[in-house]
Amino acid sequence: MRPMTRRAIAPLVALALVGAACTSDDDSGSSDTAAPTDTEATEATEETTAPEETTPPDDTVEVVQSDESMLDAVQTAGVFRCGTRDDLPGFATLDDAGEHVGFDSDFCRVIAAAVLGDATAVEMVDLETPDRFTALQSGEVDALVRNTTWTATRDGSEGATFVQPNFYDGQGMMVASDSGFTSVTEMDGVIICVAQGTTSEGNAAGEAARLGLAWEVRPFEDVDLIQEAFVAGQCDGWSSDVSQLTGLQSVYPDGPDALTILPEVFSKEPLAPAVADGDTEWAQAVNWAILATIAAEELGITSENVDTFEGTDNINIQRFLGLTVEGEAVLDPGLGLPTDFAYQVVKQVGNYGEIFEEHLTPLGFARGLNAQWNDGGLMYAAPYR
Amino acid sequence: MTATATSRIPFWRNVNVLKWAAQMVVVAIVVAIVIWLYGNYTENASRQNIPTSFDFLDNPASFQITGNSLSQSAPVRDAMVQGLLNTLRVSIVAIIAATVLGTVIGIGRLSTNWIVRKLAAAYVEAVRNIPLALFLTASVLVVVLGVFPQITDAWDLAGLAIVSNRGVAVAWYQGSGFGLLLILGLGVLAWYLVAKWRGRVADRTGNLPRSGLWGLGAFVVVVAVGWGVFGYSYTLPDVVGRGTVGGIRVDPSFFALFLALTVYTASHVAEIVRGSIQAVPRGQGEAADAVALSGFQRMWYIILPQAMRIAIPPIGNQYLNLIKNSSLGAAIGYYDLTLVAQTTVGNGSPAVPVFFLTMAVYICISLVVSALVNVANRRMMVVER
Repeated sequence: MRPMTRRAIAPLVALALVGAACTSDDDSGSSDTAAPTDTEATEATEETTAPEETTPPDDTVEVVQSDESMLDAVQTAGVFRCGTRDDLPGFATLDDAGEHVGFDSDFCRVIAAAVLGDATAVEMVDLETPDRFTALQSGEVDALVRNTTWTATRDGSEGATFVQPNFYDGQGMMVASDSGFTSVTEMDGVIICVAQGTTSEGNAAGEAARLGLAWEVRPFEDVDLIQEAFVAGQCDGWSSDVSQLTGLQSVYPDGPDALTILPEVFSKEPLAPAVADGDTEWAQAVNWAILATIAAEELGITSENVDTFEGTDNINIQRFLGLTVEGEAVLDPGLGLPTDFAYQVVKQVGNYGEIFEEHLTPLGFARGLNAQWNDGGLMYAAPYR
Repeated sequence: MTATATSRIPFWRNVNVLKWAAQMVVVAIVVAIVIWLYGNYTENASRQNIPTSFDFLDNPASFQITGNSLSQSAPVRDAMVQGLLNTLRVSIVAIIAATVLGTVIGIGRLSTNWIVRKLAAAYVEAVRNIPLALFLTASVLVVVLGVFPQITDAWDLAGLAIVSNRGVAVAWYQGSGFGLLLILGLGVLAWYLVAKWRGRVADRTGNLPRSGLWGLGAFVVVVAVGWGVFGYSYTLPDVVGRGTVGGIRVDPSFFALFLALTVYTASHVAEIVRGSIQAVPRGQGEAADAVALSGFQRMWYIILPQAMRIAIPPIGNQYLNLIKNSSLGAAIGYYDLTLVAQTTVGNGSPAVPVFFLTMAVYICISLVVSALVNVANRRMMVVER
């Protein structure tokens, strides 16, 4: 049904666009594309420029998108379906009330707050690791926030588009504290247990080949089974992203001290939310929702103090929070998001540092690579202007 | 004029035409639905840049298969072949074990011994009414992880086998597999010839043929001589460090899957065997009693050959079920075809072609097995009539 209607609509849209392009030539003929927008925005003294600015980006969006964007679909549905999980401490677990809590769960809420203005308008869809991309491709979920590593193959062949990583990670190795291992290089002729369908599986095999060690890499469907096998002594090593290992160590039945995470980190694992390919507008919306948390931390805006910036004369904060001057937002960059989306994100969920400190700091995570760029980390939000 | 009107039925009232037309309409609807679904799939896939061809088979697999020397750079094609072989391996071993166990239990249900009869009945009733997936989880969590010891206190069965939760290592031959097949083939041939010869001797002298015992003796002699001639030796398993060396190692996931499939399918085979034995006319057993055959002879020579004819088609169905059920091994990390398919999808292969291929392979296996069962059935029927 959908392809049929799309085929019918496509020529009409094309006609309409040709018409739009002809007419828009007249009024935007004098202004250049990017440079004037920048300078006008930074000055922002003439309120009259704001509405003028909003029109050209709207046109370009239509030219790029020949199809109804997921952004419109989500806003029409009024609920954002987020692909997540329920078994990873710190990132996504269920609390006593059956609600999803954790770092990734909060980023689901960040997207809902940005797109719909309501952090609770999110439907958490728990996915098994091997099924997550199929669910994304088929449209069962609108986006995937499920500690998923951004790789070239996933970008290329899985039909996924990754946005700003919300956590920079690396793969490590966890062993029983009484095993005597102090380094990965000492582990020869051992069994390494991993979650199946993850990058960990291939990384572990590759690392063993690089170090010339004999590792038998054994896959398990979920972390509960790995834990059972580990407790029973079937595995010598438990390899996964260090973030996962830290979370799992914190809830280990014999206590966190029974496990040791070895110092080596042997891969780059940028964990990033992903959306389906072919919908640039939606990808940009999700991207800016994530970036908003990072930018808020950099600007010093938290969920507690966000309301105190009402009368600020810092133009960066005015733009970022979508503050209004005489009824018009200082900046509408034409992302298709409400102009106050960043305010809603920070107010309802929090900035990046707050989310990190709420869920990950208690488990013993240091900010490390995930600190702000001006604090030695990699969290660097593109400027909002 | 009236004659022509009555003799020629208008085509819209002609039953033959209407039947034909109705069938065409059904076919057209089915074809239209398939085309529509396929069009939808290709359109959605191309919109998201998901490949729909089978080119992925040549990409590197980038994961390793437990208990296999497949390198990470080997193509997906090789990994899928290994998965298929693993599926066949566990299916064949489990089919043999389930047939033997099921036959014994089926006969046990008809035993005159009260306790044997009740035990067999309890087995069948308990096992048949529990889902297989539960059995599988139980055989991992209870038997392999719960009962089997850690590698450091592995059970050493007279040096011939070492059992731990890292697998069962068994004494095994050393030498070429082809030579061994040759020896075994010669042994089977010797068994067949000796059994035939004993049959002729029995016809001439009237003594009991005991062809099974004689045949087994011939088989053992041929294999032992061949073993010596080809210069085969054997290796005994030994615990070294955190694993075993020598012998052949049966993977714990293989063992768990084998155990669950055998126990479960045996309960169904037992019911089929019991029903088939009861379907053999009572007079046959009474005739055997009348010529003073022992209880074993009565069962072995008179009842079972006739019962097996009745049992072949339904037991063939159970074999098909077992092969399909082996795909549950994916849940416990046994690299059968299904798990290889899931893993390769997780590593960037397109889901639809992968699972289409996997399903096609399962269909082929099932068709081959049912063809074999039909051949066996026809041969047995010819003997009967």
